[in-house]
Amino acid sequence: MVSKRADHSGSNDIKCAIQARRLGKSYGNLKAVDNLDLAIPQGQFFGLLGPNGSGKTTTIHMLSTLIRPTDGTVMVAGYDVVKSPVSVRRAIGLVFQESALDRNLTVNENLHFAGALYNLPKRVARERSQELLELFDLTPRQRTQVSTLSGGMRRALDIARGVLHRPRVLFLDEPTIGLDVMNRRAIWRFINRLRQEEGMTVLLTTHYLEEAEGCDQVAFMHKGHLIGQGEPKKLIGSLGAYILEVESDAPDRHAELLNPTLGSPIQEGNCLMYCVPNEDFPVTELQRELKSTVHAVHLRRPDLNDVYIWLNHRTSRNMV
Amino acid sequence: MWRAIWAIIARELTRMLRQRGRLLSSMARPLIWLLVIGSGFGAMLSHVGPGGYQQFLIPGLLCMVLLFGAMLASLSLVYDKESGVMRMLVIAPFAHYWIILARTVSAAVVGLVQAIILIVILAAIGFFTTTFNLAILVLGLVVTAFACASMGMLIAVFSKTLDNFAVIMNFVIFPVFFLSGALYPVQHLPFALKIITLINPFSYGVDLLKHALLDGLPTSLGADFTIGQDLLFMIGFTVIATGIASIRFSRAPVIETLARILSTPRRG
Repeated sequence: MVSKRADHSGSNDIKCAIQARRLGKSYGNLKAVDNLDLAIPQGQFFGLLGPNGSGKTTTIHMLSTLIRPTDGTVMVAGYDVVKSPVSVRRAIGLVFQESALDRNLTVNENLHFAGALYNLPKRVARERSQELLELFDLTPRQRTQVSTLSGGMRRALDIARGVLHRPRVLFLDEPTIGLDVMNRRAIWRFINRLRQEEGMTVLLTTHYLEEAEGCDQVAFMHKGHLIGQGEPKKLIGSLGAYILEVESDAPDRHAELLNPTLGSPIQEGNCLMYCVPNEDFPVTELQRELKSTVHAVHLRRPDLNDVYIWLNHRTSRNMV
Repeated sequence: MWRAIWAIIARELTRMLRQRGRLLSSMARPLIWLLVIGSGFGAMLSHVGPGGYQQFLIPGLLCMVLLFGAMLASLSLVYDKESGVMRMLVIAPFAHYWIILARTVSAAVVGLVQAIILIVILAAIGFFTTTFNLAILVLGLVVTAFACASMGMLIAVFSKTLDNFAVIMNFVIFPVFFLSGALYPVQHLPFALKIITLINPFSYGVDLLKHALLDGLPTSLGADFTIGQDLLFMIGFTVIATGIASIRFSRAPVIETLARILSTPRRG
């Protein structure tokens, strides 16, 4: 089961934990992922973002050898996912959306079982389990059955399970889905601690976009395509200083009215959204001017959700 | 790899011992057959002597425990498709056919442990013959356990519909058990049923244990085939069935379907 490190990778690839070229997966006529290029340097915290059904999970499955790509190539941790799937699996950790734990076993038993699957000697598995349980505040629960843990604890344990063998690349598929706010925060704290301690490359998918603002780099997917990529701060900054939202019963009329000063808006129902480039935008004047005819005028800082909305808007306009 | 296989076996045993109710019922089932049906039918069959039919049942009942234990354990792959453990296994660093091999072995071990417990119980209540051939008994139990486990695995990797327990019981386990010579000698069966019995690998396991345990009974109740035939048929079946199951499970579309099931959030 030992396979040689692929040596046909170019000099650029060596520093890349994940390198995908024109990666694609089709099911018949349906292209779940199409023409995807990714270059994720080692140690980076990378967010793959997009709504359900945009191809994030299919991408993660291709990168983790569970789904065979129909087009293109991917190297993960220096190995080709199609040619050396076992070597790739040895080098990665994967935390699925649903828990990968045996509910009938205890916390410790689950971690020791996972360790054995990666051929870790018992002593090593035990030591690392202790460290990780400590890191994730689970030490008091180590002898309890998984079925009695809360959703948040189970998720934390699942992540511990995913990194027990010290993978070079960790995939987290919607790590906080289905958790309440408190638990989501705790999971983020754990992921950050883990990154500080282990320095591994992390690829994350999420559709809670605000959670991805701590990423070094994010990429947006839409219907299997990559529609934009960059550092979150830069992407957000490129939208402008503010987002202006105007809620109105007659959005079309107001869009026309505001067009000379603000350009064309993105319209969602009764809400018009504008990017405002300058810091000293005269919002109070506008509010006064529109007060009698609209429901509300908001001025707020942009975030990744706005980046996605604008990227999406641009993409669908280009397609038409 | 051995560490992983051992961990998979150990996990299966831990689960078996933790599910006391299930273990208890898997012991009660053969004992009910023996003490209730065995004595009922035994009374009708006076020509085999007192207790003769019950003695005849012992090999079949040991095989029954192997069948239920090992085959159900390997068939559980079908409803394990959504389990957390399957997620751990599909991304573990070994080829996917090892999942089939390791689970076949662990299912066989689960069956064997249950058979040993039953033997202890039978000995304690005085139903286990003192004159038996240990070598054949051990061989028979092990080979039958593997045959049952691999039969379950073969069905599991091909089935899309065997997702509930009742279907498995009625369409797999009961036919295999009833058409095997476990309850009646194969030679007296009508032709059609006899044919089915002859292609049922489980029949040969029962037969092997008859060799080990029923030497003292009249030949009409004894074994139907030779030890060589039994071993050849069952080992051959186990190897072929496990091979086919492994190949099938390693195929990309099967793993992809599995990956999709494993990542679909459960609703409700």
